[in-house]
Amino acid sequence: MKRKTISLILLTAIFSALLSACGSGSDKNTIVFWTPLTGDDGAYMDQIVKEYNATNPEFKVKHVITSDMYTKISTVINSGKGVPDLAIIHADRVPGFVKQGVLEPLTGVLSAQPELKQDNYLPQAWSTGTISGTQYTVPLDIHSNVMYYNKDLLKKYNAESFLDDNIVTIDEMLSLQGKLDEGDYVVNDALLGWVILAQVQNLGGDIQQDGKPAVNTEVMKKAFESVKKIADAGLMTPFGEDGYLMFQGGHVLFSTDGTWSSTAHAKVEGLNFGVTNIYSPTPDKFTNRASSHLFAMLTNEKRTDEKEQGIGAFLEFIRQNSMEWAKAGQIVASKQVIESPEYKNYIQSFFTSDEKEIESLYIYTYEHYPYIAEAVDTYCADIVRGNVDLDETLATMQKFVEDKIAENNKAAGQ
Amino acid sequence: MKKRSFTPYFFIGPHLILFIVFILVPTIYGIYASFTKWNLLGDPVWVGFENYKTILFDSTSTFNAQFMNGMKNTLIFVGLSVPILIVIPLMVAVALEHKKVKMKGLMQSILYIPGLISISAAALIWLLIFNKQLGITGNVFGSQIPWPANQPYAWIIIIVITVWGGVGGNMIIYRASINGVAKDLYEAAEMDGAGSIRKFTSITLPSIRFPLIYTFVMTTGGAFNVFGQPLMMTKGGPQQSTHVLMMYIRQLAFGHGESIAGMASAMAVLLGLVILVISAMQYYVMNRNAS
Repeated sequence: MKRKTISLILLTAIFSALLSACGSGSDKNTIVFWTPLTGDDGAYMDQIVKEYNATNPEFKVKHVITSDMYTKISTVINSGKGVPDLAIIHADRVPGFVKQGVLEPLTGVLSAQPELKQDNYLPQAWSTGTISGTQYTVPLDIHSNVMYYNKDLLKKYNAESFLDDNIVTIDEMLSLQGKLDEGDYVVNDALLGWVILAQVQNLGGDIQQDGKPAVNTEVMKKAFESVKKIADAGLMTPFGEDGYLMFQGGHVLFSTDGTWSSTAHAKVEGLNFGVTNIYSPTPDKFTNRASSHLFAMLTNEKRTDEKEQGIGAFLEFIRQNSMEWAKAGQIVASKQVIESPEYKNYIQSFFTSDEKEIESLYIYTYEHYPYIAEAVDTYCADIVRGNVDLDETLATMQKFVEDKIAENNKAAGQ
Repeated sequence: MKKRSFTPYFFIGPHLILFIVFILVPTIYGIYASFTKWNLLGDPVWVGFENYKTILFDSTSTFNAQFMNGMKNTLIFVGLSVPILIVIPLMVAVALEHKKVKMKGLMQSILYIPGLISISAAALIWLLIFNKQLGITGNVFGSQIPWPANQPYAWIIIIVITVWGGVGGNMIIYRASINGVAKDLYEAAEMDGAGSIRKFTSITLPSIRFPLIYTFVMTTGGAFNVFGQPLMMTKGGPQQSTHVLMMYIRQLAFGHGESIAGMASAMAVLLGLVILVISAMQYYVMNRNAS
């Protein structure tokens, strides 16, 4: 009987130790740092963290890649246990998180590190984290929708002049109608939703009006119609085909994918490519719809002031030493990095080459932007290909966004 | 004094704990969440049956449209995949029993291994196989359209990958149960002049009645929860015609922007109810017919 009781206690102890081990992992001299950076991005971040830890800081950083980080964030915030000390979040999460009290202001960190300030970063990357005058994030990068071009094909079709003013207009693209060999296309439909959202800016519109979502608008309609012209003319890669692969295969003049794709394109043998801005319906304006990876502290009462100092030291190290991040193809947010001569070797330095280029990197900061982006992504391909009626679908999209926002308000008890 | 023994608890304990922690509590909480508005971060706000009313009866609501479309597509998937996932493994299992079939173990492994491969890895391979330029659709079948973006091909590729991955599991169960059927039944039937079809319908099928009911119910339940195949193969397209209910549920709860977990839970509960009712009906009908 006694032995049984002992073994029972032992078993319970093992079980509880095992279960509690799942939740812990934080120790008081380590900065637990969560990121959603899977794949190569995660490896580059690992390298940066390794370099930082090699400087023997008081607080070492432990990088934890969490593929479904946002789900996990809601779990840890709810339970208050296992909250990471530092995290990387995306720009479009900031307004919602601040409203829900998930983020802690970086006031303490910033006052201890005077160089962590707006002037030292790309302006829109910094201001994305400013809500009502309080700074909640420090930027790592801007990752943007950009347009790659195939140099050989541009030469073949005598279209190099398109690039002269750094704005490829839709009319210029349409001028190639009837001139392409069979199987060649002017542009693909990669990240089509982002392209549409860029056109909204190019046409002088926005996705909100007085805080209300504005999807079913004349500007949105024009944005879709202008892109649809390219598809109607048969110049866009066929619906359902992998336009990204077709660009890499050398059959497409322009590819509208992301800054991060440059590393993959560079690995394709024989692909002679460059990068420019997303095409525009007007020669007067160009926009590259962008997002940003931002360092943020999730709300956690247990985080000590000393640890916040440690986080500040890490962010200052990143500000000075994030050249490694340029290797991932991203536009680094720290001015010290992008102004160094070494950064010019990276293709994405094009987007910080002058003020106009920097301005073109547009980050939507509207609170309900994620729902609008979701609506645009869900319906854009069918609209552009003419599979659905534009007016009807825009009304559906507007309702889609409004219904979701209404749910948020009810959940907030409004 | 009666001596109490803890031994039974040691055996049942681990399973019971895991069941309570990972199944029972989340299920109850999920049902509770379906009666609330909840963004996963704040406290759930109790709203009674409002989510269910919206999903089932408010035809102007986005969530009603999503639920109806998702349920319709899920039912199409179940209707297409379940019969194939029962018949093909059964045929394969019976065929492997034939005396002249060599290397039965190897054949069984070849058919079983796809089920062990992750759906995302498998989908990438199958997408290349069905790629218009690189794969068989354009080069062998001479098809001029991309299959994932056109119906009925979008459904065809989803069913193909499902069957490819799902045949092995049921086949193993059928093989094991067919092996358990007494050989003398077949010998007696042969003496009475029964052909192979007669032996199959009069001996094999009735003898593996329970494994059949089991696989039928489990395969149907699994098919209702379909998620990975349409997500990876067609992303729900074209025009959301392969967008199944689980995809909507996940997008609502864990998609972009603030979570709409209450509505997602209500959809999940409704899906659970449908699975429960259909499984009960299947069990009832098959068991009654069999006995």
